[in-house]
Amino acid sequence: MEQIHAIWRYGIKVGIVGGIVLVLMALIGMIEVFTQRQVIADTISMGHTLYLAAGLFICYMAARRTTPAKPLWIISNSIFAGLTTAFFLVLLIILGRNVNLRLMFINASDLLLNNLLTLGVQGNNGLRLLLIAGIATGLITGFFYLLPKIVRTVILWSLAGSVFAGVLQELIRPILSNNFPEAISEWLLTSDGLTMKGALSIFIFIALVIISWSIKGEGIRQGWLGLPKKQQLTWRTIGTIILLAAILIAPWRLGLFMSEVLTIVGLYVLLGLGLNIVVGYAGLLDLGYVAFFAIGAYVTALITSPEIMNLNWSLWAAIPFALFFGILAGVLLGVPVLKMRGDYLAIATMGFGEIIRLLVLSDALRPFLGGSQGIGKIAKPQVLGFVFKGPQEIYYLIIAGCLLVIFVSWRLKDSRIGRAWKAMREDEDVAQAMGINLVSNKLLAFGTGAGFAALSGVIFGSKIGSIYPHSFNIMVSINIVCLIIFGGIGSIPGVIVGAAALIGLPELLREFAEYRFLVYGIALVVMMLIRPEGLWPEEARKRELHEGKANGT
Amino acid sequence: MDGLDIEIEEKTIHSVIGPNGAGKTTFFNCITGFYKPEAGEILLENHSLVGLMPDRIVRLGIARTYQNIRLFPDLTAIENVLVGMHAHLKSSYLGIILNTPFVKREEQEAEAEANRLLKFVNLETKANMLSKHLPYGDQRRLEIARALATRPKLLCLDEPTAGMNSGETQAMCDFIQSLRDDLGITIMLIEHQMRVVMGISEIITVLDYGKKLAEGTPDEIKRNPKVIEAYLGQGSASQAH
Repeated sequence: MEQIHAIWRYGIKVGIVGGIVLVLMALIGMIEVFTQRQVIADTISMGHTLYLAAGLFICYMAARRTTPAKPLWIISNSIFAGLTTAFFLVLLIILGRNVNLRLMFINASDLLLNNLLTLGVQGNNGLRLLLIAGIATGLITGFFYLLPKIVRTVILWSLAGSVFAGVLQELIRPILSNNFPEAISEWLLTSDGLTMKGALSIFIFIALVIISWSIKGEGIRQGWLGLPKKQQLTWRTIGTIILLAAILIAPWRLGLFMSEVLTIVGLYVLLGLGLNIVVGYAGLLDLGYVAFFAIGAYVTALITSPEIMNLNWSLWAAIPFALFFGILAGVLLGVPVLKMRGDYLAIATMGFGEIIRLLVLSDALRPFLGGSQGIGKIAKPQVLGFVFKGPQEIYYLIIAGCLLVIFVSWRLKDSRIGRAWKAMREDEDVAQAMGINLVSNKLLAFGTGAGFAALSGVIFGSKIGSIYPHSFNIMVSINIVCLIIFGGIGSIPGVIVGAAALIGLPELLREFAEYRFLVYGIALVVMMLIRPEGLWPEEARKRELHEGKANGT
Repeated sequence: MDGLDIEIEEKTIHSVIGPNGAGKTTFFNCITGFYKPEAGEILLENHSLVGLMPDRIVRLGIARTYQNIRLFPDLTAIENVLVGMHAHLKSSYLGIILNTPFVKREEQEAEAEANRLLKFVNLETKANMLSKHLPYGDQRRLEIARALATRPKLLCLDEPTAGMNSGETQAMCDFIQSLRDDLGITIMLIEHQMRVVMGISEIITVLDYGKKLAEGTPDEIKRNPKVIEAYLGQGSASQAH
């Protein structure tokens, strides 16, 4: 009896959580808003994809933690999770039919309840369909879980790729139309979304790539390792040159909109790398990071704008001043918080961020800092008469900044100072017992991070031309923390990936933007559940080495 | 601790023993600068250590290991050892960013020395493994390698044989003696295993309730009635052979 209870108990538990989550997602209107965008034109919308993906994920979580991991139990848990989730949704729909939910939940529309959630089928048949769908989802997920890993990887990534392609139409369309023949565009996309053929082609393409990599990949890797250093260096240089070339011509090949997106992502990459040093390398949780961003922007404004100080210097002149004040602020922040750890450090730094915001907003300092009206007419960068006006030109400034900051981060990482930071992060007391001076190393970390943020502030100020206090709020700090966690704390490629995902995607998907913070939260929770080290962790290389050695090298 | 007066002779192995709570680890913490004594002096070759920060004390030549092994878990073995070398490396912030020849050379030399230290403790094949993945015995030896990286004059080992079987314990004893013989390091040892204490120590100090109960060579301590009564007890007296 005990054993039989156990088969469905866990599944039901996961299902309850999942059911509540899906009900909430429906009630806040996320599903309905997302249905406005088609993934595959006239076949499936982004809303339904989200709906389905959530269901599959819930059943997957149930399948994953089944103990003992017997096939029958895994499938049953999965089914029960799916069924329970569907049951909650049915309850919601029935409730919606009898009570006017719209009094409290504006988004609980008739369309949502009787059409979208029930996949287009009306009335009680819809409810039955929903329950069956729940069971089916569980069944599919259960079987999926039992497939060999390579098959699962292929299916998952190919599906993800197709969905992404469908969702990111605005990104793909200009790339295709600028660079590839008309025929390819038409094969893959319509004005609304992917074509069915397009989606299948992408699916098959990614599947083939993954399969061929898994067959040939190890061979290629061994071949690479076997090459003499000189040849490796040559190939690496060629690869870097190609990458740099791609980065340099990107704004012209991708169009104005994408350049704008890349510019914003780039600013956050700069910020992320700076915070990565403070949080990722040194382990100092700084939630007031936006303060240094603000300082960089305001110093730039004061120096280059005719307002307030009327100095009218060029942007290039502003850079050293912004860096100086930014780094100074970083060190000054560091001094009082030297002995704080963990939560206390977070709150104290958060306070500092708010102090700066309030100072630039205040009426008392309006004659010096512009108050709530901010400072305008910030100079654009100029070189020999050529003005960097639009996103496509500012892009290069940002790329230069990013490359500089990536270089400095990379140099510091494997150095004596980087190791001292890592040691402080792992165990402050023992680090001190190894001869590491906590004061100077913490201040170095704060200062370096602040310097990067100030640089980003300079470019930001110049780019938007007028700065206002409300741009420098705590959510910016939190966004940056989220993106470095999501991408992988301490990892340079991780920051880039995190910025692309959490900053770039909302720019490309307007529907996202409204539910931005909810999506951030969900993304973080999902990451913590399935991949806590982040999308591109720094340890990936080390883990590979470790596994290689463990496998009897 | 209460009126504790200990003198440690250079290039000896000096053990500190006593029942749990006698103040042994507290003693280590005072010497290494984690606790500040309310009264008294701590002198390293006539240099006063009282009130100095732990990182200063390390630079003066005292290193330690910990009872519960406190390695840096998410750093590899070699990185752990390299951290130990921090105080002796001179690469500056600017030098690192500009990748000056000095920095390049210092990193290479540091890596070579770290590998030598790992070889000394038989961990050279595991240099790139995360220290949290190492088996227990390896972790203990890695901690010692890391402490050695600070180039100490005095090495304080806190229960280095805890959790080891007799074979491993014997290996650790030989190893500790080689530290003194080959590297000329003075060793201070907190230990519970009487076999180890009696076997390799030159001087033993016995603590009880923070006070010094007795001090002397292993033979003297074995026969000291106060020690036998307070600490060794009937069963342990036979264990000491």
